[in-house]
Amino acid sequence: MKKILSVLLLSLIAWACTEDETQINDNDSFDRAAMLTNWADNIIIPGYVNYNSKVNVLAEAKSTFTSNPTVENLTTLRVAWLDAYISWQKVSMFDIGKAETLGLRGYTNIYPTNDEEIEQLASSGTYDLELPSTRDAQGFPALDYLLNGTATTDAEIVARFTTEESLSIYLSDITDRLKNHAALVLDDWQNGYRDTFVSNDGSSATSSVNKLINDYMFYYEKHLRAGKIGIPAGVFSNTTLSTNVEAFYKQDASKTLFDAALQASVDFFNGKHFDGNGQGESLKSYLDFLNTITGGEQLSALINNQFDQAKQAASTLDENFYQQVESNNEAMLLTYDELQKNVVLMKVDMFQALNVKVDFVDADGD
Amino acid sequence: MKKSFLYLFFAAFLFTACSDDDENNIPSVEAPTTYTFVRDGNSTVSFSGQTTRIEMGHELLGALSVNDTDNASAELLLEMFRNETADGGDANPYSSADLNASTKSIKSKTAASKDFFSANTSEASQVKADFEAWINAQAEDVFVNKDRAAEAGVSGQIADGSSVRYVNAQGLEYNQLVGKSLIGALMADQALNNYLSIAVLDEADNRTLNNNGTVADGKNYTTMEHKWDEAYGYLYGTSANPADPNATIGDDDSFLNKYIGRVESDDDFAGIAANIFNAFKLGRAAIVAGEYDLRDAQASIIREEVSKVIAIRAVHYLQSGKAALNPNDMGPAFHDLSEGYGFIYSLRFTRMPGTDAPYFTRTEVDGFLEDLMGDGENGLWDVTPETLDEISEAIAAKFNFTVAQAAS
Repeated sequence: MKKILSVLLLSLIAWACTEDETQINDNDSFDRAAMLTNWADNIIIPGYVNYNSKVNVLAEAKSTFTSNPTVENLTTLRVAWLDAYISWQKVSMFDIGKAETLGLRGYTNIYPTNDEEIEQLASSGTYDLELPSTRDAQGFPALDYLLNGTATTDAEIVARFTTEESLSIYLSDITDRLKNHAALVLDDWQNGYRDTFVSNDGSSATSSVNKLINDYMFYYEKHLRAGKIGIPAGVFSNTTLSTNVEAFYKQDASKTLFDAALQASVDFFNGKHFDGNGQGESLKSYLDFLNTITGGEQLSALINNQFDQAKQAASTLDENFYQQVESNNEAMLLTYDELQKNVVLMKVDMFQALNVKVDFVDADGD
Repeated sequence: MKKSFLYLFFAAFLFTACSDDDENNIPSVEAPTTYTFVRDGNSTVSFSGQTTRIEMGHELLGALSVNDTDNASAELLLEMFRNETADGGDANPYSSADLNASTKSIKSKTAASKDFFSANTSEASQVKADFEAWINAQAEDVFVNKDRAAEAGVSGQIADGSSVRYVNAQGLEYNQLVGKSLIGALMADQALNNYLSIAVLDEADNRTLNNNGTVADGKNYTTMEHKWDEAYGYLYGTSANPADPNATIGDDDSFLNKYIGRVESDDDFAGIAANIFNAFKLGRAAIVAGEYDLRDAQASIIREEVSKVIAIRAVHYLQSGKAALNPNDMGPAFHDLSEGYGFIYSLRFTRMPGTDAPYFTRTEVDGFLEDLMGDGENGLWDVTPETLDEISEAIAAKFNFTVAQAAS
């Protein structure tokens, strides 16, 4: 009797568990090398070429401004800063190779920036920008403060850079550092790393595909969803944190930066070339190759549809996320929710379909 | 075969399985909905001393942080641990006047339970010395060298995502060692091995006095009631509503309460917070009713579950540290493993129900810590995934959870 019961019980359990599973194709003969080639040659390297050229323009505009601080030169410098900041959004997710060993993202875009520390370091004249503790006093957010937040009016900002040599030097140092970092990473891709990356086309945890998919997911979840929207909207705190928006001092650039980042995530998923002409092997084509069906629908279509939902929700947002959080945070939360739905579709369903293990854990914040 | 039929079959099976154990001698003690007990219309619940020590712990942890302070001296930090000057004089190290006015201290109750340390003062003094060594080194090594990059064998700062961690030459964060080890050496040891101990609850004529409802001098509670409440206070002493603490479990301190909350939020262990709280309530009601077997049965539940919380978090941090191991970026792993170090240290203060022993002896705990730090000459800089798995497995094996469950 006992045996029969156990058998019945087991079959009951088995029966209860067979529905709703994403189908996994074990015979994975997808051409991973072709996907890596498309990523490297058509997306990542062109992205870094573009980023380098924008950062070089920024560095030139900085030199013009520091040698001749005028409101006009400040305006030009700000435009170059925003241009470079936008181009950064398109490469931020590629935390692999030299970018990973440098800790590039940490030295480029940690916000909120620490205005007191910037003032203190600049006036002291002695600082080691290699130290992790100075990361929140450099990069684009620190430039945001220097160019937009060091005084109330443009004339006053220019006056500070005219009279305070140490501030000019600091501006110069952190701008040149961005430029040097960008050059190191591009140089590495163009002189060897590209082949290393493409030839590491296996499916182990340290293969290029598995690593970059994880980098992509980590970026999407922590930096796009949480950093740009969720944290300022108060999703992870008891109150909203409006001053934690990206480009807080510029204010009306936060949506532009977010839009660029979201579009870069969409384009990477679809394998779209950086120059906008054509697309190649990608996460989308990989999922389609495996014919991944979730709940009766193509998973790649579900993900792209969800990207559209997120864009639509974001389209209602003010250019200025600080204002948006302060005036109508509900719209931020709705955007967050749409972004979050793709975390589930990608991190659960896509990872499972591609048989990739998530290699990062949720830090518990202490 | 129809589903409904199977369900019926299964249900019938369950009933059969459960019907044997019915005995009619279950004591008729009913626990209140909240931790509320009164005598003559006034509350009999009191644990202000525990609240005070948790608050002292918070001030100490705050001062041990490199980020948020102007880096206190070793002397001041040690005064926060002792609430005394180095030569035993009165000290006022805290920002809170109430804490400064208190004669209580963290140190006096560290590794100080009746069951484990009343006749083992040599080990107790080693434990206190460990804490003082960590606290001292935080000031003398880590604060002093906070503006240099850490390397294998060199203390300093290291990135952990957008955070910065400050580690010793072996990759350990002393403030994490202090915080997580206090959970065992102060909170768990006092609650499990002192106040829930029969030797403490039934000391002298406590039973007679409790049976007769004789209250302590100038108080509204019997001594036995108060001892039980003092155990309660080490878990819930800073709760938003201490009578109904699970409403905010995890948010009310940085010690045991916090990690009961963390374990509760893992689906594998959901319900553990209610088990602990219900056992406290029922045990306290049993004291009021004079039902001492029932009381001790609740103490056993609390000992097992609180011990489990510590073990789960030890394994959890070893596993998240393992997942974070990356030679290019060791900061995240160091942070997790420093927390893990503290929870392993705390295992020595757990209590296996029905015995006089912890789940792991000091020798076993020391062995784990030596393994953790011993894969190379630079401690956590050299630790291997295999070592982290071995320690995790050894810890989980003594409990009814798996490494995978604790890791999630």
